[in-house]
Amino acid sequence: MAKKVKAKPVSRWSRFKNMDVLVLITVFFLNVFGLVMIYSASSYSNSTSLLIKQAIAVGGGIVLMLGTVFVGHTILKKLWWLIYGVAVIFLALVKTSLGVESHGARRWIHFPGIPFNIQPAEIAKIAVIITTALMICWMGNEIRNIWKVMIACGILAGPLALEIILFTKNMSTTIILCGIVGLMFFLASPCYKDYLIIAGIAVGLAAVFILISLFTDWAGFRGSRITAWLNPEEYGQETGYQTKQALYAIGSGGIGGKGLGQSMQKLNYLPEAQNDMIFSIICEEWGLFGAFTIMFVFAVLIWRIALIAMRAKSLFSSMLACGVLAHIALQVILNIAVVTNSVPNTGVSLPFISYGGSSVLCLLIEIGIVLSVNCETKEKNRDEIERRTKEYDDGNRTMPNT
Amino acid sequence: MRKEKKSIKSVNNKVKLFAIICTILMLLLAVRLIVIVVKNGDNYQRHILMQQSYSSTVLPCRRGDIYDANGIKLASSEKVYTLVIDAAVMNTELSKEKKYLQPTLDLLGQTFKQLDMVEITNYVKNNPTSRWYVPKTTKRMSYDEVKSFMEAQNEKDSLIKGVWFEEDYRRIYPGGSLAADVIGFTTTDSQGQYGLEEYYDDILNGVKGREYGYLNDDLNLERTVKSPVDGYNLHSTIDVNLQTIVEKYLSRFMEQNKDAYRTGNGAENIGCIIQNVNTGEILAMASAPTFDLNNSRDGQSLLGSMMVEKYDKENGYYEIKKNGTVITQDVLNSMTEDQLNLNLAYLWKNFCINNTYEPGSVAKPFTVAMALEKGTITPSSTFECHGSLEIGGFTIKCHNRNDGTVTLEKAVAKSCNVAMMKIAQTMGSKIFCDYQQVFNFGLKTNIDLVGEARTNQFVYSADTMGPTDLATNSFGQNFNCTMIQAITGFSSLINGGYYYEPHMVSKITNASGAVVEKIEPRVLKQTISEETSELIRQYCTAVVEYGTGKTARPAGYMIGGKTGTAETIDQNTHKRSKDEYVVSFMGFAPADDPQIAIYVVVDRANAPRQDDAKYATRIVRSILMEALPYLQIYMTEDLTESEIKELQELQLEITTEHKPDDSETVDTPHTSEVEYEEGNKPVWLSFPVDPNTGYRVDPVTGYKYDAQEGFLVEGNEAVMGVEGPVNPSLSQ
Repeated sequence: MAKKVKAKPVSRWSRFKNMDVLVLITVFFLNVFGLVMIYSASSYSNSTSLLIKQAIAVGGGIVLMLGTVFVGHTILKKLWWLIYGVAVIFLALVKTSLGVESHGARRWIHFPGIPFNIQPAEIAKIAVIITTALMICWMGNEIRNIWKVMIACGILAGPLALEIILFTKNMSTTIILCGIVGLMFFLASPCYKDYLIIAGIAVGLAAVFILISLFTDWAGFRGSRITAWLNPEEYGQETGYQTKQALYAIGSGGIGGKGLGQSMQKLNYLPEAQNDMIFSIICEEWGLFGAFTIMFVFAVLIWRIALIAMRAKSLFSSMLACGVLAHIALQVILNIAVVTNSVPNTGVSLPFISYGGSSVLCLLIEIGIVLSVNCETKEKNRDEIERRTKEYDDGNRTMPNT
Repeated sequence: MRKEKKSIKSVNNKVKLFAIICTILMLLLAVRLIVIVVKNGDNYQRHILMQQSYSSTVLPCRRGDIYDANGIKLASSEKVYTLVIDAAVMNTELSKEKKYLQPTLDLLGQTFKQLDMVEITNYVKNNPTSRWYVPKTTKRMSYDEVKSFMEAQNEKDSLIKGVWFEEDYRRIYPGGSLAADVIGFTTTDSQGQYGLEEYYDDILNGVKGREYGYLNDDLNLERTVKSPVDGYNLHSTIDVNLQTIVEKYLSRFMEQNKDAYRTGNGAENIGCIIQNVNTGEILAMASAPTFDLNNSRDGQSLLGSMMVEKYDKENGYYEIKKNGTVITQDVLNSMTEDQLNLNLAYLWKNFCINNTYEPGSVAKPFTVAMALEKGTITPSSTFECHGSLEIGGFTIKCHNRNDGTVTLEKAVAKSCNVAMMKIAQTMGSKIFCDYQQVFNFGLKTNIDLVGEARTNQFVYSADTMGPTDLATNSFGQNFNCTMIQAITGFSSLINGGYYYEPHMVSKITNASGAVVEKIEPRVLKQTISEETSELIRQYCTAVVEYGTGKTARPAGYMIGGKTGTAETIDQNTHKRSKDEYVVSFMGFAPADDPQIAIYVVVDRANAPRQDDAKYATRIVRSILMEALPYLQIYMTEDLTESEIKELQELQLEITTEHKPDDSETVDTPHTSEVEYEEGNKPVWLSFPVDPNTGYRVDPVTGYKYDAQEGFLVEGNEAVMGVEGPVNPSLSQ
C-alpha cells in the first residue's frame, strides 16, 4: 500500500525551464541598470574601464548562477565545509602578501595570474548563509532554546566576523554578516519574545553609543560618523562630506531628475560615486521617479524570494532562500538609509547596482541557489501530483475490488 | 517529518512578516526621499552650483616669428617647460612594494642635476597633500632637457608619477646680437620691448586660449576649450647678409679704436642704415655698441660706454645725461639696480631712430636742391668764397679758407660753407623752413619701429629763424635730425624726388604661412623734380670723384655721396664743444643707377681729433666693397693694382663687365691746373706739399688740401667754434 514511488529521473537541463521568471527579470533589470549607472557615474574620470570590468563580472556571475541551478543546491549539504573553509582561508590571506590595499583599506586579495582582485568578505556571506541553514536543520527543536541559538550564532558567524573585523577592519560587512545569521534564526524559530528582547537590547546599546559619541571623543572615527550623521552640513568639510554631497545630489535631482549623464555631483564632488553612493546619483539623474522604480523592483525581488522561501519543500531549502532574502533586504535598506542620511554612514553597497565584481558575482550565485530551490519545489510539486494521480489511478483501479 | 512541516509553517509566517517589515521600511525611505526633495531640493541645488569652481585654465599661444627678406629666422618662439611637483600624487602607494615616491625622486635627481633634492624630498614628505610646488631652478627648460624624463613618465606601468610640466613659450634669437636694435626683445610674459617686437606686439602676439566650464540654460555643466590662436609672422625687409656686413664693420671700428685716445669704446655711437632708394625699404640698420638679444640684461655689453645718469630739474622734469664716467668692470659692479636699468635702457635704444644730432654738411645737398627747385639759383650759378661770411654778428668761416669763385658742383664737392649760406640767403627763411618740412625734417618718418625721436622742436620755423640761423642751417648745423630722417630725405633727392615712407616689414603671414597683409612701398610725396634730382646725383658723385668723399669710393665702383662733420653741443655749458664731433657719410650706389642709399654716422670717435669724416667714409667703403657684389651690382671703374690686391684679400670677385677704353679714363677737367689771377690766389696755394701724401698741409691746423684743386681732403668742414651760434632748443 505505502509503496514508495521512485521519482522519475528528470533531465537536469529541464531545471532551466523551471527557473522563476520574475526573479530572472528583476535581477536582469537591476544588473543592466547598474551597468548604465556605473558608466554614467565613472565615465568622467575612468571612461569605460569600470564599465568593462563590471560587465565581465556580471557575465561571469550569470554563468555561475546557471551553473548553480544546474548542479542544484542540495550538493551544498555535503560541500558546505569547502565553502566555509575557502571563506576563512581567503579572509586570512588578506593579511598576507597576497592582500591588496585600495582606498585606504586592505580588503582584497590578488592571486598571481588572475586578472581581478577578490573580496573574501563576499564569499563569507555565502558561506554563512549555507552553514546557518544547515545548523538550523541539525538543531531541530533545540532552536526554541535562545541560549543554544546564541551559541550556534557565535560558532557560525564568530570566526568569520572576527576575521573581518580584525583583518579587514570592515564594520559594515560584520553587521551584515551578523544580521544575516540573526535574521535566519529568527525566521526559523517559532518564538518572537526572545528576539524582541535581543532587538531591544541592541537598540538600547546603539542609543548609548550615540549618546557617548555625542558628548565625548571616546568612540573615535565611528563616533565622529555619528555626530556627522546628526548634523551633516556642519561636518561637511570632514566626515559628513560624503553624506552631505549625497543629500545635495538627491535634493537637486527633484522629481524628474537631470537626465542620464547629467549629474554634477559625480564630477569630483561625490568621491567614488559608482560605489556605495550610486543611489544618490540615480536620484540626481533620474529623480524620485527613478529612485522609486528601483525601490519597487527591489521590493518585487524581495517578495518573490520570500514566496520561494515559503513554498520550499524542505527546511534547508527554505532557510537558504531566507538567508539570501535577509542578505539582499538588509543591504538594500541599509544602503538607501545611509544615502538618505537616515542612519549613520556605513559602507554598504547596493546589490547588483554598486560597482564591485566580487559582490555581484556572489549575489548572482545566491540568486542561483534561490532559483535552484524554486526548481526543487516545482519538481517536488510535480512528483507529488504525479504520485497522487498515480495513487488515485491505482485506487480507481483497485477500489472496486475492495 | 511532521515537526519539520510545522516549523516550515511558522517559518512561512515569519517570512511573510519580514517581507512586510521590509516593504514598510522601504516605504518610509521613499517618504524620506520625498521629504529631502521637497524640503531641500532648491536649497541643495544652489549648494551644488555654489561649490562648482569654474576655474579656467589659460592655454599659451605661440608668438609669431620674425624673418629677414630671404626667409631666415631672426626671432622665433620655442616651447619651454616648467617643472611642477604634485606631492599628493607622488605620495600615493599602489601597494607596499609599488610606490611612486622613491623612483620619482631618484629620476628627478638624476635628470635635473640643478635640483636641490634634499629640499624637494623634505617638501614632499612634509606636505603630502600639496598639489603645486615649483622648484626655482627648473623653470622654463627646453624640450631637450625634459625629454628623457617625459619619456620615462609615459612608459607603461611607469612608477614615475606626480611630476608634470607647465608649458609656455620662450623667445629665441638665432642671430644673438644681430640686428638687435631693429628686432628688440620680449619680456618673459611675451611683451615686446623695443624694435619690431614692440611695434608689432599686437600682431606677433596671438590670442591666448582658455579652457573653462560653464552652466548652460538647463543648468548643465559644459566644458569648453577655446583654442589659442598663434601670432602672425613678420617678414622684415632687413637682409641678414647686408646686416652682417654692416655690423662686422661697425664692430671692427669699435674694436680698432677702442681705448685709442681715452679708455672706452671706439666711438660713443655708430649707426648705419642701408635703404633701397626706390622703395624706402630698410635693408640694414645697425648701431654700435649693441647687445645680445638672448641675454638683453647682460651688463657686460655696457662695458666701454659712457655712463648715463638721471638729473632732476627744477621744473619737475628730469634729464638723462652722460656723467663722463666710462663703464668699466669695477664701475659696473658698483652700479645700483636703478643705475643698471637706466644704462641698459639707454643701450637698448636704436641710435638710428632714437637719437638726434646736428647732421652737418650732409644737409648741403638738401639746401642746393631746395634752391634749384625754387629757382632762386640755377645750375650755372657761381659763388664767391673768401673764407668767411659775417652774418648777424657772427663771422662764420669756411674751412676751405678761400675758394675763390666756385660753381655749384664744386660748392657741394668741396663742401663750401660760404656758398651754402649765400644759397640759403637767396631763398630766405620762409622757403627754407617750408622746404625742410617737405624733406620731413622736424616731422616723424613713421617708420615701423618704436621710439622714433620727435624733432619738431629742433627745427626753426619762418617766424623764429634769424639770418644767422638760416645761414647755419644751410650747412646742417643748429638743427637736429635723426638718421632715418636724413637718409629717407636723401633717397628722395637721389631717386627722382619720390619720398617713400621708410619701412621695415614687407609682409605679415599667419602661423600656417598664408599672407595676411602685404605692405607695399608707399610714395608719400614728390620732394623735387627729376631734373633737380639728376643734378644732385651729379654733384654728389663729384664729392666722391674728386671732393671730400674720395675715401668712400669702393674699389671698382663709382658712388655718390656727401660727407658731414658737425660740432656737438656740450650738455653742461650749452655751448659748442671744441673737440667733440659727429662725422658722417651719406651715399648712394651705383652712381649712374642708384639702387641703395647708405648712411654711416660716427658719434664722437675715440680719437685725439674727432673731426675727420674719414672715420665714416672708410666704414662706408668697407661695407660697400662687400655689399655691392652681394647685391649683384657690377663694377664699372678701373682697378689699380693695390685695389686688386685688396679685393683678393677680401676674396671678392672682380665683376667689371667691360674694360673701358683708355681714352675714357683720361679725366681732363679735374687734373688740369686751374689758372688763378694774381692777387686772387687762394691761401691754400701757399701751403707746402706733403711729399708722402701729395696733399698741401696747412701748417696751422694740420688740415690737408688737394694740391691742385685746393678742396679739403682731411679736416673740419664745420668751423663755427666754441662761440658759434647755438639753436636754443637744442641745448635744453
